[in-house]
Amino acid sequence: MLNTLVRYFNLIVITLFILLLISFSLAYFFPGDPYTNLTGKMLLADTDGPLAAAFREGNVLQQFWYYVQNLTMGNWGHSFSSALPLYDQIFQTLPATLELTFYASTLSLVIGIPCGMLAGFLHHKKTDYTFMSMSMVMVSFPVFWLALLLILIFSLQLNLLPMSGRLSLLYDIPETSGFVLIDIINSSHPDRDAALYDAIQHLILPTIAVSFITTAVFLRTTRRAIVDVMATEYIKTAQTRGLPFYVIFSRHVLRNAMLSILPLLAIQISTLVTNVMIVETVFSWPGVGHWLIQAIYERDYPAIRIGMLLVSSIVVFFAMSLECISRLIDPSRDNKKYA
Amino acid sequence: MILLDIKNLTLEIESNGVLVKALDKASLILEEGEIRALVGESGSGKSLIVKAISGALPPQWIVTADRMTWRGQNLLTMTRAERRKIMRRDIAVVFQDPVAALDPSATLQEQLTESIPEEFVAGTWFWQKRRSRLDIAHSLLHKVGIKDTEYCMAHYAHELPVDICQKFMIAMALVSQPTVLIADDPTRGMETNTKRQILSLFKNLNKTRDLSILFVSHDLVAISSMADTMTVLYCGQTVEDGPFQSVRKKPFHPYTKALMDSAPSFSPDLQPKSALIALGGTIPTLQHLPIGCRLGPRCPRAQKKCVETPVSRKINQHTYRCHFPMHLDDKGIL
Repeated sequence: MLNTLVRYFNLIVITLFILLLISFSLAYFFPGDPYTNLTGKMLLADTDGPLAAAFREGNVLQQFWYYVQNLTMGNWGHSFSSALPLYDQIFQTLPATLELTFYASTLSLVIGIPCGMLAGFLHHKKTDYTFMSMSMVMVSFPVFWLALLLILIFSLQLNLLPMSGRLSLLYDIPETSGFVLIDIINSSHPDRDAALYDAIQHLILPTIAVSFITTAVFLRTTRRAIVDVMATEYIKTAQTRGLPFYVIFSRHVLRNAMLSILPLLAIQISTLVTNVMIVETVFSWPGVGHWLIQAIYERDYPAIRIGMLLVSSIVVFFAMSLECISRLIDPSRDNKKYA
Repeated sequence: MILLDIKNLTLEIESNGVLVKALDKASLILEEGEIRALVGESGSGKSLIVKAISGALPPQWIVTADRMTWRGQNLLTMTRAERRKIMRRDIAVVFQDPVAALDPSATLQEQLTESIPEEFVAGTWFWQKRRSRLDIAHSLLHKVGIKDTEYCMAHYAHELPVDICQKFMIAMALVSQPTVLIADDPTRGMETNTKRQILSLFKNLNKTRDLSILFVSHDLVAISSMADTMTVLYCGQTVEDGPFQSVRKKPFHPYTKALMDSAPSFSPDLQPKSALIALGGTIPTLQHLPIGCRLGPRCPRAQKKCVETPVSRKINQHTYRCHFPMHLDDKGIL
């Protein structure tokens, strides 16, 4: 238990350290002055601070050290294009991304896993084939094209749902938590209900676009796990013991299937985040992905660097945590010593 | 009374587009209160018979039989619920590989207590029931010879030695107080003392509770100490069937004789370092089964006629399937 925790903690720390190294080296790889690329400010003779001093001296190790120090202190540099502190910008956009990711992954889990179970139990039956071909089609959709298609059909043709943004400009909701639904519920706006309705309408299309592929992947993963578990000796034995189906399902099938699904879901996090970023761009969703891609267009090097570092850190952290949890709750993995 | 009656059970599976008969007209009868040994080499289809009875065969196997009944009820045509009921209370099975047969993600306690039928559990409230379940589990585990029951129940199958897992399987089989116990190589991987303990437990249950046992094994010494009757299986065909002593002393089928001769403990006058008697060749693979009597190519008494499958003949209690049986004269008299 402790062993596993320590191992995964080390793994996360080392991976994050490598990410830091890469993000620091980006400052040198981008064209222009490394100090400017790192902080968004010019390195003048009278610029104060230890990082500037290190750059004047040219000691790379010291530069890296003070760079990391600045990062931990929330001193993430300034954007080229807006000259605003990146720390504030990121924490304005990050909640929108997290919100979209959360809704999309919840939707995928709620639809994908039960359908996958159904398909797994009805292995090689019509239901199974239907679900499998449906998920095959769903997986094959390129996410940007799907997003455009959704806009085309539901916004432009049918005129049912808004095509971009997070909330109509009519509603002026003060941002406190950054999560639009929570903000609306907590606000004392006179048209709160209308705003909530509007926000949900804005959410529908991006959520569907993101969860489309993820649902299909979850469905296929779950189906495979259920089929594998159902074919094992211990399920056969449980059946010959005459246990009723619900006991076998809840005590033996579910747990074993989940144990093999969890690590695979951890891998899916990076795909999910990528899809969220693409969808954000298409729907002009004011999240980190949209912001980062804008930064790339504008060659806003400090923003690209910090965006890349943040998104990859989040992916690494969540993926590793999920894996660590699945390792911790899986009793048969105890005996495997190494990560 | 006949509990389990299997006649001409044939199991087929498709292999490279051809149907292969893994079991070819195997027959088996289990009477109330008897211990029947099912003997055969590895790969002769013993475990397949066990799986066919318990319904644990993968769906791609094609099962056909003239008769396969439990107390007169047809096992092949009954609904799943009916079959499950029989498996829950009447037939208990101990499978060969205990570690694979136990759920890796559940403690042994969970798996043992869930097998206890509701009728045996005393108390009305869940904590009373829990207590009662644990008591049953502990006493049963002591019976099958597990000393540190607390420790073993709190652990997972992969954390314990194979023989403890095997004992758990036996305990799980016995917990429903079944009428029939089908034990597929139950003492595998156990050392002699534990083995003896398990076998004497089986014998005791057979005497005191009238438990019928289908004892699947190739341990002839263990079989000779407890079996009343014996069925010999070769390559998916039942070759001989009858009371143990009669089969052992006067085997009709050449394979039975070879099998008995191959056990050194059955031949007391065997000289040290002398060669063991064995048939030439090996058991054929499923893809290359000989037609007719499957022992044919290896049989010392085989003749031209052996390419036809022999029908089963019966003398007293003793059934055999051979064109040229031993210990009989030309007219088929002992």
